[in-house]
Amino acid sequence: MALQGATLFVAAALLPVFATAQTATQTATQTAAQEDLFRTTSEAGIRGGKLVIAQRSEPRTLNPVIAIDQNALGINARLQADLIHINRATQKTEPALARSWTVSKDGTVFTLKLRRGLRFSDGQPFDADDVLFSFQMYLDEKVHSSQRDLMIISGKAVKVEKLDAFTVRFTFPSPYSAAERVFDGLAILPRHLLEKDYQEGKIGQAWTLSTPPEKIAGLGAFRLKQVVPGDRVVLERNPYYWKVDGKGQRLPYLDELTFIVVPTQDAQVIRFQAGDSQIISSLSADNYATLEAEEKTRHFKMYDAGPGLEYNFLMFNLNSDTEGRLPEVARKQKWFRDVRFREAVSAAIDRASIIRLVYRNRAAALATHVSPGNKGWFDSSIAVPAHSVSHARDLLRAAGFSWKGDNTLIDSTGQPVEFTILVGSSNTQRAQIATLVQNDLKAVGISAHVVPMEIRSATDRVLNTHDYDAIVMGLVSGDADPTPDMNVLVSSGQTHLWHLGEKAPATPWEAELDELMQKQLVTLNYQQRKKIYDRVQEVLAQQLPMVYLASPDILVGAQENLGNFHPAIIEQYTFWNAEELFWHPPAGKK
Amino acid sequence: MIRYLARRAGHGLLMLFGVSILLFLLFQAAPGDFLSEMKMNSQISPETITMLRAQYGLDQPLPERYWRWLKSSARGDFGYSFAYNTPASTLLWPRARNTLLLSVPALLISWLIAVPLGVLAAGWKGRWADRLFSGGTSALLALPDVLIALLALLVALKTGMFPVGGMTSINAQDQGTWAWLRDLGWHMVLPVAALVVGSLTIILRHVRASVIEVLESSYMRAAEGHGLPRFKLLFGYALPAAANPLISLFGLSVAMLLSVSLLIEVVMSWPGIGPLLLESILARDLFVVIGAVMLSTVFLIAGNLLGDVLLYAFDPRIRRQA
Repeated sequence: MALQGATLFVAAALLPVFATAQTATQTATQTAAQEDLFRTTSEAGIRGGKLVIAQRSEPRTLNPVIAIDQNALGINARLQADLIHINRATQKTEPALARSWTVSKDGTVFTLKLRRGLRFSDGQPFDADDVLFSFQMYLDEKVHSSQRDLMIISGKAVKVEKLDAFTVRFTFPSPYSAAERVFDGLAILPRHLLEKDYQEGKIGQAWTLSTPPEKIAGLGAFRLKQVVPGDRVVLERNPYYWKVDGKGQRLPYLDELTFIVVPTQDAQVIRFQAGDSQIISSLSADNYATLEAEEKTRHFKMYDAGPGLEYNFLMFNLNSDTEGRLPEVARKQKWFRDVRFREAVSAAIDRASIIRLVYRNRAAALATHVSPGNKGWFDSSIAVPAHSVSHARDLLRAAGFSWKGDNTLIDSTGQPVEFTILVGSSNTQRAQIATLVQNDLKAVGISAHVVPMEIRSATDRVLNTHDYDAIVMGLVSGDADPTPDMNVLVSSGQTHLWHLGEKAPATPWEAELDELMQKQLVTLNYQQRKKIYDRVQEVLAQQLPMVYLASPDILVGAQENLGNFHPAIIEQYTFWNAEELFWHPPAGKK
Repeated sequence: MIRYLARRAGHGLLMLFGVSILLFLLFQAAPGDFLSEMKMNSQISPETITMLRAQYGLDQPLPERYWRWLKSSARGDFGYSFAYNTPASTLLWPRARNTLLLSVPALLISWLIAVPLGVLAAGWKGRWADRLFSGGTSALLALPDVLIALLALLVALKTGMFPVGGMTSINAQDQGTWAWLRDLGWHMVLPVAALVVGSLTIILRHVRASVIEVLESSYMRAAEGHGLPRFKLLFGYALPAAANPLISLFGLSVAMLLSVSLLIEVVMSWPGIGPLLLESILARDLFVVIGAVMLSTVFLIAGNLLGDVLLYAFDPRIRRQA
């Protein structure tokens, strides 16, 4: 398989160089003749202007090696660039700092050709040594980079070699179907700025929020201008950025990109209404409706990008270490372990009313964890379980349950079926889902009690103490690809939430899931992989280790004159293409 | 005077130790730690988490962690933020300044309004103006501070007269120091107003109650009988006599204002201690939480100490004791 981005970029020599009067771009344009630039296909825009985006909290660090919080990832992705990038609109990979690459027949060796003549945002040149240095840091055990785990396949690390100044070879220990996607978000960092810190073992303390901006550089569309602690992070245009539009004009268009801290969503809505910020994302359906009503008067446009990769579910505790330690939980697990019981619960839940009441119809009902928004991997042949109380009752009867005179469900020993449903208290939507589930279960005689709990405490029960009956929670897939789901689906996975710490698969269907997921990991052909993953979804829909409920839509908005605004369902939903965003000339206000 | 102050400061120091130990114990009891969120991240392996736990010293026993924190506090770092990878002090100082920027003006304004108004209300006791006043303060007291802040934001949004949050405008810095200061002041109006409204009522009611108590004493009646003018009676004699409990209240009002301020900062996106504390509690960023609470305790102790100094200056009885 050989992949080339030939349609997306042209050789640098053919590029008409766009020269502006600005002094900042002088050096960049002088060297542009030898620059291997990326030509975008989106609408050509107009330079200038500022864009303000509100975030819940400030980034905790500007160091891509150790960053894990969403705010830091979002800002770092503007300051830095990766070798191969996942285009958020197509959900497919595209060339970034690697202009093209080839893959060996067995799918283990990737040879990447780097773009020539590129410069970091401080004007220093970029070559293969920066790539080697970056991966050396990511793979170094002592650095504790969370990125490292992505590049360890079955216990072995990927090997990185430099073939020449602009060619790098990655050798994976075994075929890895998601290899290309792993490169997304792995920033290539300037060796000249970070080598000293790394050698002194201080890379973890490098590039904090108090580092002077001139000491931080990258290959991203923007560079750091200023950090005001707790208040805002200001980025400015990187004059050396390696993308140009169809007219040959160097990106990005915006002069400045500012991230302000607005801790609550309601306050974010108010700031957006007032025009203090010009993009808003991750809206609840209620806030979306409020803003939608003001579209005309306040000159913004709201977008429903469709169901995202978050899936909400009801999960029963199937852990095996409760016996003796938690007798009450263990007693109820006899019900939970019976697939007919889980199926009955699934049939008793009215997903349509969850979608209508909680999400105002801006969500998709689910049969498995794969949301219909995941274009490449969703199996549309699996039907969402229909809401049917009579079917649920049939299933329960077949499983040996019966009803007392007052419609209370009792098990074969005469015990009433009663359990608690934990839910994180800070997430209003999930708390509402839990209440609706509680109501639906009443119809089949099950008495469930919703217990709202601070999210960390609830997570602690799920992950560590296993002291819970059932929980309503949500997970977000990191990528459209199946591989990030490995940890949830494989029985030894660290987020195999319903039954943690399995030495061997506890059930035949978990054994089948293990096998299927391992197989998809090494199958390179998409069609074959898709077939395997369809079977995974089928098993999940039958066995219901989680009772999958709903995927909310990604609801966002922007000022109406913001050009090239194309919200996506993979993070960062609204500003993944910040380099292409531009302001249309003021027809209304700006 | 010095001895009196030293004793008071000593009490404060002991309190700080007590608070810090309590915080460590409470955090120990809270389920989950900073790394438990990472456990949910399928990208991070358990080995990485174990290594990080060791690096942050979270695998150490509690007394050892407390001792390490004490040592780091002695260096002025106040522990290490897991989330930010920096000493907690670098996060706390700039935000503490912003919090003080709100609370100090609010404190002064609250007292400047509350004292004359409270004395007048006491003087009008039983008349319609006093009843109106009591009804008004009761109603305000019943209003939650969050609601006051949200109402203020709503007014700002509807009228467009005030900014709807934040500390400065995006372009403020480009326009010179004076424009920046004006912009800052403009952004301060609503949060300070919300703080004043939130804390004013309690002070008002205290002032009124203590002045009424004094007015009913026999020496005040005697003074009234001698035909002293009403104004002089209220402000010249009643207020100084009622000052003692009020000065004690001053110290307490610092604490009250701070707690309201943390909340208003979150609602109005003011970059003070409040949003940082909230984030850090949710993230279980241990030392930042402890640092922020210790800082609030220091403010509280400082407020009380100031109250003590004022009391010492005003009340001869205390001077004799000391």
